[in-house]
Amino acid sequence: MTGAGPSKSSRIGRLRHVMEHAAHPLPRQGPIGIFVHHNTLHAFEHLPFEEAVKQAGQLFEAEPYMSEARYRSELSRGRIQLVDVDAVIDREPDSLIFSGLSRSSLRRAMITPGVREFDGATIVWRIEQGDLAKDFQAPALRILFDACFTRAVPHEEEPAAPRPVDEVIHPWLIRLCSVFLDQGTAYWPMPNREKGFYESVRTLLSGGGGIFPKYLVGLGEEFRRQQHLGFSAADSVLDYLDSITPEETEWAEIVQAELLALPGWAGLMRKLEEEPTLAPHHILPCSLMDFLAVRLTMARIAAQRGAAETIPEESPLKTQERRRLSRTARIYDAARVLRLSAEEVARLSQSEWVVFSSEIKAFNGLERRRVLHLAYERAHEREILRGLASHRKYRGLFDQGQRPVAQVFFCLDEREESMRRALEETSPAVETHGAAGYFGVAVDYKGIDDPHGAALCPVVVKPKHAIVEQPKAGDGSVLNSRRWRRRILGLLMRNSFVSSKTLLRGWLSTAALGLLSAVPLIGHLLAPRRYALLREWLNKAFLPEPRTELTLMRNTRQSRGAVSGLLMGFTAEEKAERVASVLGPAGLVHNFARLVVILGHGSSSLNNPHESAHDCGACGGRRGGPNARLFAAMANRQEVRERLREEGIDIPPDTWFVGGYHDTCNDGIDLFDLDAVPSTHLPDVESIRRAFDHARAQNALERSRRFESCLANADTKRALRHVEERSEHLAQPRPEYGHCTNSVCIIGRRRLTRGLFLDRRAFLLSYDSSVDPDNDALAALLAAAVPVCAGISLEYYFSFVDNDRYGCGTKLPHNVTSLMGVMDGHASDLRTGLPWQMVEIHEPVRILFVVETTPGRLEKVIDISPALKQLLENRWIRLATIDPASARVHVHRDGGFEEFHEDLERLPVALSSYEWYAGKLQHLSMAWIQTPRTATGDGLR
Amino acid sequence: MNAFQNILVFVVVAPAGIFAVFALLWLLGWNPSERLLSGTTGITFSACSAGVAALIWKTSSALSVTATFGSWFAVGTYHFPLVLMVDRLSVPFVALAVVLSGLIGQFSATYLHRESGFLRFFLLLHLFAFGSLLAFAAGSFDLLAAGWEIVGITSVLLIGFFERRPAPVENGLYVFGIYRTCDMGLLVAIFAMHHWAGTASFVAGFPRFTGAQEVIICLLLLFAASGKAAQVPFSGWLPRAMEGPTPSSAIFYGAISIHAGAYLLLRAQPLLAQSVIASCLVILIGAITAIHGTIVGRASADAKTSLAYATLTQVGIVFIEIGLGWRWLAIAHILGNATIRTMQYLRAPSMLHDYHQMHSAIGGELSPTGTQLEEMLPEKVHLWLYRWALDRGHLDTMTERWIIDPLSQLSAYLSRGDQRPSPSPAPIPTGCAAEPSTSGSSQGGN
Repeated sequence: MTGAGPSKSSRIGRLRHVMEHAAHPLPRQGPIGIFVHHNTLHAFEHLPFEEAVKQAGQLFEAEPYMSEARYRSELSRGRIQLVDVDAVIDREPDSLIFSGLSRSSLRRAMITPGVREFDGATIVWRIEQGDLAKDFQAPALRILFDACFTRAVPHEEEPAAPRPVDEVIHPWLIRLCSVFLDQGTAYWPMPNREKGFYESVRTLLSGGGGIFPKYLVGLGEEFRRQQHLGFSAADSVLDYLDSITPEETEWAEIVQAELLALPGWAGLMRKLEEEPTLAPHHILPCSLMDFLAVRLTMARIAAQRGAAETIPEESPLKTQERRRLSRTARIYDAARVLRLSAEEVARLSQSEWVVFSSEIKAFNGLERRRVLHLAYERAHEREILRGLASHRKYRGLFDQGQRPVAQVFFCLDEREESMRRALEETSPAVETHGAAGYFGVAVDYKGIDDPHGAALCPVVVKPKHAIVEQPKAGDGSVLNSRRWRRRILGLLMRNSFVSSKTLLRGWLSTAALGLLSAVPLIGHLLAPRRYALLREWLNKAFLPEPRTELTLMRNTRQSRGAVSGLLMGFTAEEKAERVASVLGPAGLVHNFARLVVILGHGSSSLNNPHESAHDCGACGGRRGGPNARLFAAMANRQEVRERLREEGIDIPPDTWFVGGYHDTCNDGIDLFDLDAVPSTHLPDVESIRRAFDHARAQNALERSRRFESCLANADTKRALRHVEERSEHLAQPRPEYGHCTNSVCIIGRRRLTRGLFLDRRAFLLSYDSSVDPDNDALAALLAAAVPVCAGISLEYYFSFVDNDRYGCGTKLPHNVTSLMGVMDGHASDLRTGLPWQMVEIHEPVRILFVVETTPGRLEKVIDISPALKQLLENRWIRLATIDPASARVHVHRDGGFEEFHEDLERLPVALSSYEWYAGKLQHLSMAWIQTPRTATGDGLR
Repeated sequence: MNAFQNILVFVVVAPAGIFAVFALLWLLGWNPSERLLSGTTGITFSACSAGVAALIWKTSSALSVTATFGSWFAVGTYHFPLVLMVDRLSVPFVALAVVLSGLIGQFSATYLHRESGFLRFFLLLHLFAFGSLLAFAAGSFDLLAAGWEIVGITSVLLIGFFERRPAPVENGLYVFGIYRTCDMGLLVAIFAMHHWAGTASFVAGFPRFTGAQEVIICLLLLFAASGKAAQVPFSGWLPRAMEGPTPSSAIFYGAISIHAGAYLLLRAQPLLAQSVIASCLVILIGAITAIHGTIVGRASADAKTSLAYATLTQVGIVFIEIGLGWRWLAIAHILGNATIRTMQYLRAPSMLHDYHQMHSAIGGELSPTGTQLEEMLPEKVHLWLYRWALDRGHLDTMTERWIIDPLSQLSAYLSRGDQRPSPSPAPIPTGCAAEPSTSGSSQGGN
């Protein structure tokens, strides 16, 4: 320890700075109960995408792209086309390697026909018995290999040895973290945990009378020493660092290596330090410094006890000879695909040889995968843009013709694309729109069954208003009896669960009552859907449901919640503002239908720790029903409509708004507050209900095509049953495929995309540039939609390309820990990211935004938003525009927009979506679904 | 053979048959579809369940059903009798094994859908069902030991199911070590029975032993049973066994495998009842385990470990019941414990959801648990106890430090004589960087 007072505190300040910097790459996932999709490599967004995946790949030992073999198979099945590969290579700087060979032609040859990957571990086997042995049956190739071998110089770096200390300290550290953070699994809470991680661990382990594992003997004394010196966590860390190195410049590397050894737990500690209220039940004083101090103290003892000496001997598979052989093989393979002969190789001058071999090295597996990936995305981009342009050119903008019978607002979520299409297909007189699923109302909402309020809005927004659901006049007693009965049920559940795990009460409950659990066991497993219906029926019978309303009125500016400081309800202006923020940008300012339905969404599934990841991203990983209900209630108010009229949004008196909720897992649709619907509109509600029933069954059928376990010849009825069963099945690891197919976000009028089969791959956000002369609405839409959509797209990208490092692996061995996350088995790092079952059918591409505006207008919007600019310029998203008037398409490449010129063919035509997708499991290309252009009569079936 | 004997043979052998057929076809290069595999599993266990119903009906009137096939082999005076028997003791276990295997099969057909180890899992499930049925329906300890070993090996293979990560394989190996060590008890007990009485069959009542012989045999069986049932001091392997897929954790460590030790003791109860020392030891081990389990379980913050110790606590109590001679209570307790734990394991991923539900139903405030500990104990003891619980009674630590480590040092010492001096590797020139670590999946091209 050096000095005291200011020098020490400035040292601590510097340490903090180093630690914060080192902690940047840690996962930013909070407790799993509220899953918010975000860019896994958020910390690298200041770098260009290709550089970021490379750096992060080295840091996490993770894959930056899919495997080369995977891209190759995509190439051979035509998903990647050679023209895209060429286009990518042609855009990069070229140079001459030696006469007759340019870099671009070398690279082309190394991709097609393509070279193989070699490594030191397998090279000898491959030469003696494998594919190279087969090559060498042709003598020319054997000679070529030898020619390369004589000139090849081996030089490779050793990979870092694994850190054996981890194996010693992780079992302890993981257990300590899990009990410290525990939200209620363990019967005994960890003693002293309110004092923080470092102090509680120190107190726990410095007591006498315990036995430590071999390599941690002495940990107790060390903690006692630190306690005696009155160390804070930072003191302890400094003490360790001083014992390792005198140089502060080396801190960063040491600290980062320690934090990244267990990134899941360290990341959660940090997240909870920043936002303690994310903890679902017990708020804990988390601190990354505490975590680091405990970890380093353990590492110090383990190192002292000699744990680090057990570094395994260098693998015999990695000898110098093998490295030279594998390096030779790489050059040989490139020479082979270039059709160079041994003489030609031998004839190269030394400088030519050096350039040649270093060019081959420069186009290593990583680089080839980068080029292949860019080609893979380019092919996707061309397909989407060609399809959109073709649809616009040959089909024109869709014209509703007359007043639609209903307008339905969905969340922009790509899972609603098929639902919207199904609704329009079965009921052509219905018009659909898309908006971010919190519908402009950022609120802290507390339903009748909720103990606390929860924010229903994107995570970047902090709600200022609180809304409470309360029983309608006269139903107060119903609510009371509901609460009372729920409480009894809850206590019963809790007691039976807790007591089944204890000694004596557990004896009674297992011996006497244990066999009773055969009923739910058999029910759940043999008849999941019927059993769910039975439970629902019992629930209804036992728990009365009061009619409720939302407290959305606020007359004075003063009425704030006493504790939360939130405004209770909205004033008339605020309501009008929120309604206008959704209707305006969508261009819905006149021609309102008699009925406007607002549908929030969420997803219910059983036995699924990642359930919340399927909920609405725009509602912060929660369910968006209340937002829709609130929006409709606001839009129905007279004073709101008057104010809207002043702003040019003319809602006629015979228009009624209804809020609703769509469950994307079981495809159920609920409509709210139907008792408030005027009697004149009851027939409209009845017909939209029927329309929804047709549409959701169609939607279930379309979704089922992806599920191998659904019978291929299922009809709508069976498909609906199938998806309902999925959401209630105890054993179902993939209740729905979530955002698995996302790849595009189209921001424009529905008229542009109506009738287009987009295969649930496109986020659809309604935007009409003609009512947005100064681009303000566009700026607002992009500010809300881009981070949400890009976060989803990039999280899926990374969880797919390296499911073990960036994702959380297969769900099958997952073990819910501390009620905050999942581990593999009984002692692993906290697994963050998405499980394989959620991403397995994903196509990892960066999301392509297509905005219906002109490049000039869009550039203005981007220029004023640094966040957007960074995402775009560092290529974390892709961007294109389609001109609303001329239909010309521009695509953003290399920092600027360029016009997209391609011959447009008519899209294939199908009479219904079903005809297009029936019997197919794979991603499908766009098609034109031929439905009646305009509706006659009531239009609804 | 009468109808019931046929049924008995069918129930035990059917899972083995399915295992053999699918394993053989797989070796020949055929990969059956998931639908076929899960369908066959469903049919097999439904048929077996019907068979078990018949056996229950029969044993409720007759005392037992026995099917004898002579001996597998004979060496001198020793012969390995192939005799199956269900009586009122084994019929609940047979029923439990059949019904739960069927339900787990049903669960796994959905849970493991599209998993590359689907076939492997179902093969092991069938083999396990066969092993446990063989153990429960054996008419002699020789045959019981065969089933016992099959249960052990399938258990280990399923812990290491995700063979590409090191942790499952390491933990599987650990469990394997403990199992093998404790299996010695069963094998030596069988030798002893043959040595002293000439038979290890219990179809026609237990053979007669002298007092000392009884004690030795009981202790050996208790050693074997304690390992399988994860009793103290062997409890350390139980949380490690949670590496496999959830349904295998449920059926092995919630239901069947963990109770197999109790079955062995129940089977040996006539002997046990003769020996006060052995009975007391069973009670003692059970009591220590129950207390160990409940204390360790209270400090476990992850769903599966906490369930594992909850199960273990009750198995400890079952041992006490057996030691006291309360056979029927023990059987009822086992059935109840097995069913509720299977359900709880299968629902373990719901823990988050359930807890949230309870929390909101009760009104946002759950009464804190475990406060009496703080109130009753002085802080030092409280901390000591908590730490003891957190390190799972130091059992693993002690095993590692005082058994495994000395053994591996000994083996290193002994193997030193075998080693030849190896030439030191040539120095490695360093220079330009290796290809960035991109190998992963791309062996490309070949």
